[in-house]
Amino acid sequence: MAKTGVKNSEVKLAIANRGEVAVRIILAAQELGIPTVLLHSEVDVGTRAYRMADEKVCIGPATTADSYLRIDRNIEGAKAAGATMVHPGFGFLSENADFAQACIDAGLIFVGPKPETIRALGDKISAKQLIEKANVPTVPGYAGADQSLETLVAHAQRIGYPVIVKAAAGGGGRGMKVIRSKAEAPELIASAQREAKAAFGSAVVFLEKYLDHAKHIEFQVFGDFTGRCVHLFERECTVQRRHQKIVEESLSPSLTPELRAQMAAAAVGLAEKAGYQGAGTVEFLVQDGEFYFLEMNTRLQVEHPVTEMVLGVDLVKAQILTALKAFRIWKQSELTPRGHSIECRVYAEDSYNRGLPSTGELLGLHWPEGPGRRYEVGFEAGDEVTAYYDPMIAKVIVWDEDRPRAIRKMLRTLDDSVIFGVKTNLPYLKAILSHPDFVEGTMTTQFISKYFPEGLESQEPTEEMTQFAQAAMKMVDAGSAGAVGSGRTIETPWAQGWRFV
Amino acid sequence: MRIIEIEVNGKTVKGYAVMRGGVLWTHANGETWTTETGSKRRGGKAGGGLSQNPGEIAAPMPGKIIKISAPEGTVVKSGDVIIVMEAMKMEYTLKAQASGYVSEIRAQAGDQVTLGAVLAKIAVESEKK
Repeated sequence: MAKTGVKNSEVKLAIANRGEVAVRIILAAQELGIPTVLLHSEVDVGTRAYRMADEKVCIGPATTADSYLRIDRNIEGAKAAGATMVHPGFGFLSENADFAQACIDAGLIFVGPKPETIRALGDKISAKQLIEKANVPTVPGYAGADQSLETLVAHAQRIGYPVIVKAAAGGGGRGMKVIRSKAEAPELIASAQREAKAAFGSAVVFLEKYLDHAKHIEFQVFGDFTGRCVHLFERECTVQRRHQKIVEESLSPSLTPELRAQMAAAAVGLAEKAGYQGAGTVEFLVQDGEFYFLEMNTRLQVEHPVTEMVLGVDLVKAQILTALKAFRIWKQSELTPRGHSIECRVYAEDSYNRGLPSTGELLGLHWPEGPGRRYEVGFEAGDEVTAYYDPMIAKVIVWDEDRPRAIRKMLRTLDDSVIFGVKTNLPYLKAILSHPDFVEGTMTTQFISKYFPEGLESQEPTEEMTQFAQAAMKMVDAGSAGAVGSGRTIETPWAQGWRFV
Repeated sequence: MRIIEIEVNGKTVKGYAVMRGGVLWTHANGETWTTETGSKRRGGKAGGGLSQNPGEIAAPMPGKIIKISAPEGTVVKSGDVIIVMEAMKMEYTLKAQASGYVSEIRAQAGDQVTLGAVLAKIAVESEKK
């Protein structure tokens, strides 16, 4: 970093987000000496970010459409608290050009690229047109303005099944469906349009040929306020369920140096053409040694920590300082990756019942500390995982000298992580990390549907576990164990007898 | 949350436990379990309130009904979409577990439903005869 602090005491950062990314941004701001304002919904007073922020402004009820997705309320909240800049995090309004513009119009610095850049790249249809001009290969598809069901079905037929339908304004798996036959095309396209409308306010979708043994590999790029761009190498995010990433790593175990160089050049080329400023990610699918542009995310990425771990950088501080024109980015030659980093997304969902979401109060949390372990957590014990938002509880990140060691470290770390109160995907994550295809690094985006389509098989407790629980029960009965339920009772319709969660 | 250490067959097992609402949560050896207080039953299959009856379509999670794809009377095959619902911002399709016809629909688009609520019934083919 060219500068480690911000001396301007008149800087104040509003955070238009929640959960673990709000915590991440607050931590970065604290280190920079910048006070923070959290723009939060009514229910999110029970979160870690709320307790950490210097100031808080409630911008509406729990429903995202009435709070986190409301441009006007976020701007009003930021202005009311005297903020001078806004960090949108990821999801919500982070890729909304209108929001970026509204910030600027209100005299606020938007931490991210210029609105026109977001408009050109954030919309997947125009991004594809842009990248075609930049001569980067794309997947065959349809990205036309005619959004009638008949036209979309006809194009799906022309492209040839399997075809994937996606929300033009979206990300994170919402509004995405794989169509495998003509028979299911109308239903799935209509469903994708509804999800797109509900999640992003726009029902516009596009179609693509679905590559069925591809890897998802993305390049982190960063542009500074002078227009210079660098890449921060790649992340492989091939392990996905319903197009939502679960396990991410850097570097990818799948790229040859030649392919890496080609893809990096394509990513930087696109960012430079777009006049990109700040952190962005260029996503590709890689199959049979060929790469295809997927989309560009004009924001910080959920999985940014693995990049930070292998390169020793702080992307969030770099974002804030770039927005303040206080940071000239790294030279490409300064960016040398070392070791291997893996991130696991810990979700409140049932590993033994098709990954269905689980909600409730977090009765206990323990994150085992150790060298090369990092946790991004938005909750503390006593907080509630609600059905209003993404069911992610935490991100667990590890770094070690090489990939096999990083996998072993992650397995041990997940073993020692304790989450009480909701069912979690911890057993599922461990099964993924132990699978030969993952260990070999040969997994494709079909990994989950191929090996774990219905989650895991339920298990019987071991003798040891049974005795442990019986001993614990006795201590509770004797009144010697803490936190015996005195508050309200959580609904536990599934807790009959023993459950492996 | 309490740290508990016990000896099992000469081996020390260390872990965590917490009790709430009649349910004991335990964590040891990298595994988390729940036990209902007073229950002697073990190894209950994780059903999450799902109906085991192939003739019933139950809500696998709390959420909102988006669409009834197969109204009452529709002849369906196993795997056909009966109901589309939304939870946690994602759409989930509830499919017929058996072939037959839709004998009853107990929800309509827009309804908020609870976990385990029976939303539709299928008259299974063999029963029809």
